[in-house]
Amino acid sequence: MTDATRRSRSWLDIVAVAAVVGALVFAMTSPRVESQGDSARMLFIHVPTIWLAYLAFAVTFVASITYLVTKKLKWDLIAGSSAEIGVVFTTVAIIGGAIWGKATWNVYWTWDARLTLTAIMLFVYIGYLALRRSIPDPEARARRSSVLGILGLVQLIPVHFSVTWWRTLHQSNTFRPRDIQMDGPILAALLMSVGAFTLVYASLLRHRVHLAELELVALEAAAATEGPVAGDAVTAPTIDSAGAGE
Amino acid sequence: MKRYWKFLVPATVALGLLIVLLVNLSSNLVYFRTPTELQTEVAPSEERLRLGGQVVAGTVVENGETLVLTVTDGRESLQVEHAGAIPQLFAEGQGVIVEGTWDGAMFHSDTMLIRHDEQYRTEDNVIYDTIDHELDEL
Repeated sequence: MTDATRRSRSWLDIVAVAAVVGALVFAMTSPRVESQGDSARMLFIHVPTIWLAYLAFAVTFVASITYLVTKKLKWDLIAGSSAEIGVVFTTVAIIGGAIWGKATWNVYWTWDARLTLTAIMLFVYIGYLALRRSIPDPEARARRSSVLGILGLVQLIPVHFSVTWWRTLHQSNTFRPRDIQMDGPILAALLMSVGAFTLVYASLLRHRVHLAELELVALEAAAATEGPVAGDAVTAPTIDSAGAGE
Repeated sequence: MKRYWKFLVPATVALGLLIVLLVNLSSNLVYFRTPTELQTEVAPSEERLRLGGQVVAGTVVENGETLVLTVTDGRESLQVEHAGAIPQLFAEGQGVIVEGTWDGAMFHSDTMLIRHDEQYRTEDNVIYDTIDHELDEL
């Protein structure tokens, strides 16, 4: 790795942290939401985290297709890394939503369509990560997991539109085409925090992909050194036919 | 063989969880019924169900341990007798979902949830509609 890439990576980290601090100031000083009060400030965490989950799984989808087309392992590393980040942020979105739900709905969790489908999405992508761990060979892992990485994205459609398709406790989508149900100052603060979280995602993804590349190099180095392994000195015991009957 | 087991176990667990979730979901795609549905389709019974609607202004009466209120879906209204905790955001005109039984005349609930709308408006009542207008022009 060159110094230039290392420098650009740390620059991205600094910009992401600065953006988060800036977004936090906006989130704390934005006008209070009518009828919900300060609990509505969860908006500035809840919406960006689920946005990141959508974005991360979309990147996994694109990277999986690109791997199948180009057969370059780097794309598979991007797919896996992005899904990992997506799982983390889906979890944060669910936990943040539960806290917000208790404050406004009066319940942490309930089995309405939006909540349930989001939980299913989380479990499918945890399954995707489990699948990756179960296949040691990098090529086979890339080939098989890319199928799930592509199919997994389909769920995002029912997850997102569940609140308009079915009757749910979760309110309907605030962002409708040409009709945003949000006042300007709140929207500005929300866009700031969505931008900041997106930078955090970019930074996390670069670090995670870099780590995955190092893992791959280490794995290849280990495979290249054909040395003795633990237990080589031990010979398997054999059954003495004369003493077997006793 | 061993590595197939490593894949099969998490896959089976994931599939099991998925089935549990889907079974839960199928009965909950409709999270609550409306006053109109209760009066036209749903027969009174001891079965627990959820009723959703807006609290009609001027109908909320405290009656000892219980709260009597009327909820509406804009077409039909239904009287609810609620015995239980009252959420912080409970107010006239607010969307609520109550859980309990329906006896044909009154809905007896013990759990109340708030169903707020998707609008995020500021408290100062300034009308910020420039964005909407700009988008309309697109």
